[in-house]
Amino acid sequence: MTDPTRPIVEGEAVPVAGAGAGVTIGVPPQDGHGPEGGGVQSVQSGWRLALREYFDNRLAVLGLAVLIFFILFSFVGPIVYKTNQTLTNPLVTTMPPGHGHPLGTDANGFDELGRIMKGGQTALEVGFLAALMATIIGTLYGAIAGLVGGIIDGIMMRFVDVLLSIPYLLIVLVLATKYSATVIEMSVILAAFSWLVPARLVRGEVLSLRVRDFVYACRTMGGGNGRIVYRHLIPNALSVVIVNITFLIADSILALSYLGFLGLGLQYPATSWGDMLGNAEQNVSSGYWWLVYPVGAALVLVVLAVNLIGDALRDALDVRLRRR
Amino acid sequence: MTGYIIRRLIVAIIVTIGIAAVTFALLHLLAPSPVYAVLGNKARPVAVAAWNKQHGYDRPEIVQFFSYLWGIARLHFGYSYKLSQSVSALFKENFGRSAYLSGAALVLSILIAVPVGIAQAVKRNTIGDYTVTTLNFVLYSMPSFFLGIILIQFFALDLKIFPPGVSDGITTTWEAITHPNQLLLPIVTLTFINVASFSRYMRSSALDNLGQDYIRLARAKGLSERAVLFGHLLRNAALPMITLIGLSIPALVQGNLLIEVLFNYQGLGLLFYGALGNEDYNILLAYTILGGILTVLGNLIADVAISVADPRVRLK
Repeated sequence: MTDPTRPIVEGEAVPVAGAGAGVTIGVPPQDGHGPEGGGVQSVQSGWRLALREYFDNRLAVLGLAVLIFFILFSFVGPIVYKTNQTLTNPLVTTMPPGHGHPLGTDANGFDELGRIMKGGQTALEVGFLAALMATIIGTLYGAIAGLVGGIIDGIMMRFVDVLLSIPYLLIVLVLATKYSATVIEMSVILAAFSWLVPARLVRGEVLSLRVRDFVYACRTMGGGNGRIVYRHLIPNALSVVIVNITFLIADSILALSYLGFLGLGLQYPATSWGDMLGNAEQNVSSGYWWLVYPVGAALVLVVLAVNLIGDALRDALDVRLRRR
Repeated sequence: MTGYIIRRLIVAIIVTIGIAAVTFALLHLLAPSPVYAVLGNKARPVAVAAWNKQHGYDRPEIVQFFSYLWGIARLHFGYSYKLSQSVSALFKENFGRSAYLSGAALVLSILIAVPVGIAQAVKRNTIGDYTVTTLNFVLYSMPSFFLGIILIQFFALDLKIFPPGVSDGITTTWEAITHPNQLLLPIVTLTFINVASFSRYMRSSALDNLGQDYIRLARAKGLSERAVLFGHLLRNAALPMITLIGLSIPALVQGNLLIEVLFNYQGLGLLFYGALGNEDYNILLAYTILGGILTVLGNLIADVAISVADPRVRLK
C-alpha cells in the first residue's frame, strides 16, 4: 500500500485526529508511486480522501444502500412485521403468496417473509462475527510473524500454508457435524479456517512497511518502536485489513448458506437462508417457487452488496488504483 | 529446474504430513473412535473396549497417527465401517466420475473465460463489457447450488430439455461420458461458477498486456488486429490462467461437493456428503486429506508449468 500522504518530514505533517498519516506539501514523491507531475493534493487526510473516493463510486453507494436495507429488513423488520416463527402451523403449510402472507408459507406453516428476516439476522450475525474474529486473529498472528521475523516467522507461516491447503468447505463441514448449533459456534468454526488470508496479508504488509523510508525517517528522528507501530505500520496496513474484512463477510455468508443447504446449519428454531434452501430442488419441482427465489435473491443481493463494497473500498484505499 | 522440483516435492510432502496431522487431530477431537457408529450408541463398555482393541483404536493417538500416515504412503486410507469397503476402493470407484465433472467444467470454463476476458479488455468500458462484468459479479456472489436450481427450473422443469438430476443408471465414468444429456446441467453449473472468477482475471491480464510496448510494436508493424490479438496478446494474457487453474483445485473440490449433492450425481463429493451424515470418519478424513494433497500438487504443477510457459519466470 503506497500512500502519497506519507509524512516524509514528520514535523511538517498535518496531524488529523484518528488518521494515520498527514500530508506534507511541496515534498516531491520519493518513489515512483506518488502522484505524477507533482500533482500534490490539498491538505486532507488519506482516509477522508478515500471516503470521498468511495462515495464518488455509484456502485459502491448502491452496495452500501442494499446492505443497510438488509440490516434494517432483518433486525427492524420483525419488530414491524410480527410473525410466529416458533410454532409450526399444519393448517397453513406451503400456501402461495397472499392471504395475509405476502410471500406465502413454508412446509411447516411459517410465514416466509418473516422467515427470510430471521435468516437474514443469522446470515449477517455470522458474517460479521466470523469476519471480525478471523481478522483479529489473522492480524495479530500476521503482525507478530512479520515483526519477529526469522525462524519463528518461518514456522508460523508454514503452519498457515498447511491450513490453507486444506479445502475450507470440507474441514468446516466436518467440524459442523458437531459444532454448528448456534450463531457463535458457527462463527467460530468459520473463523477458525478463514483467519489465514488476513494473516498472510498483514505479515506481507508489515514486512514491506518496516523497511520503508518513512519508517527509517521516523526512527532517525528518534521515534520509538511504539510510535512506528501505532503511527505508521498499523494505519498503513489497516486499509488492506479493512478491504479483506468485507470479502471475509461475503465468504462467511456464502459458507453459512452452503452448510445450511447441506443440512449442517443452525439448530432449529434458528434458521439461515441456506437451511431454507435445503429443500429447494423439491420445492421448485413441486412449484413452490416462493420458497426458493425470494430467499435466494436475498442471499445473492447481500453477498453482492458486500462484494461491491469491498471492491470499491479497495479502489478507494489503494492510491495506485485511484482515478486522478 | 530439477533441483527446484525436488525441493518443492520435499516441501509438498512435509505440508501433506501437516495437513494429515491437522485433519487427523480435528477428527479425533470430534470422535476418538468410530466404535459408536459401528456398534451403536447403546453398545456396552466391554464391547466398545474389545472393538477398540481389535481395530487399534486403544493405542495412543500419536501411534495411531503414524500408522495412519504409513497407510497413506501405501494408499491405504482405512476402512469405511458403514459401507463395509476400504476407503481406497470407494475412492477408486467414484474418482473417475468426479474427475470427469471437474475436468469437463474446467476445460469449458477456460474455453469461455479466455476469449470473453480478451473481448472485454479490447472493448473495455462499453455496454458489452459492463454487462459481462455485472453478470460475472452476480455469478461470483451466487452460491453454486442456487445457480444450479435456477438452471434446473429453466432447462429441466420449464423447457424439459434436460433431466433435473443425474439418473441413478449412471454408474460408471464411461456411462457419464456417453450420456452428455444427463451431465450437461451439472457441468454447465460448475462451468459458470468458474467462468465468473476466471474471466475477471483474464480481463485485467489482457488489459495490462494491451498497454504494453510489444502490442504497440505489433500494431506499428502493420499487423492486422486479428494477428495482434491472437498471435501476440492471447499467449501472453493467458499466462496467469495457468496459475489460476492450479489454484482453482480446492474450488473444484468444493464445487463438486455441492453440485453432486444437488444433482444427485454419484461421485466423491456425494460420498463425502453421505459420510457426514453417517459419521463415517475414515471417509471424511481421507477426502479432506486428498483435497489438501490435490491443492498442494495443484500449486506445485502451476508453478512448474508457468516457468515452462514463461521464460521470464525463473525458478530457483
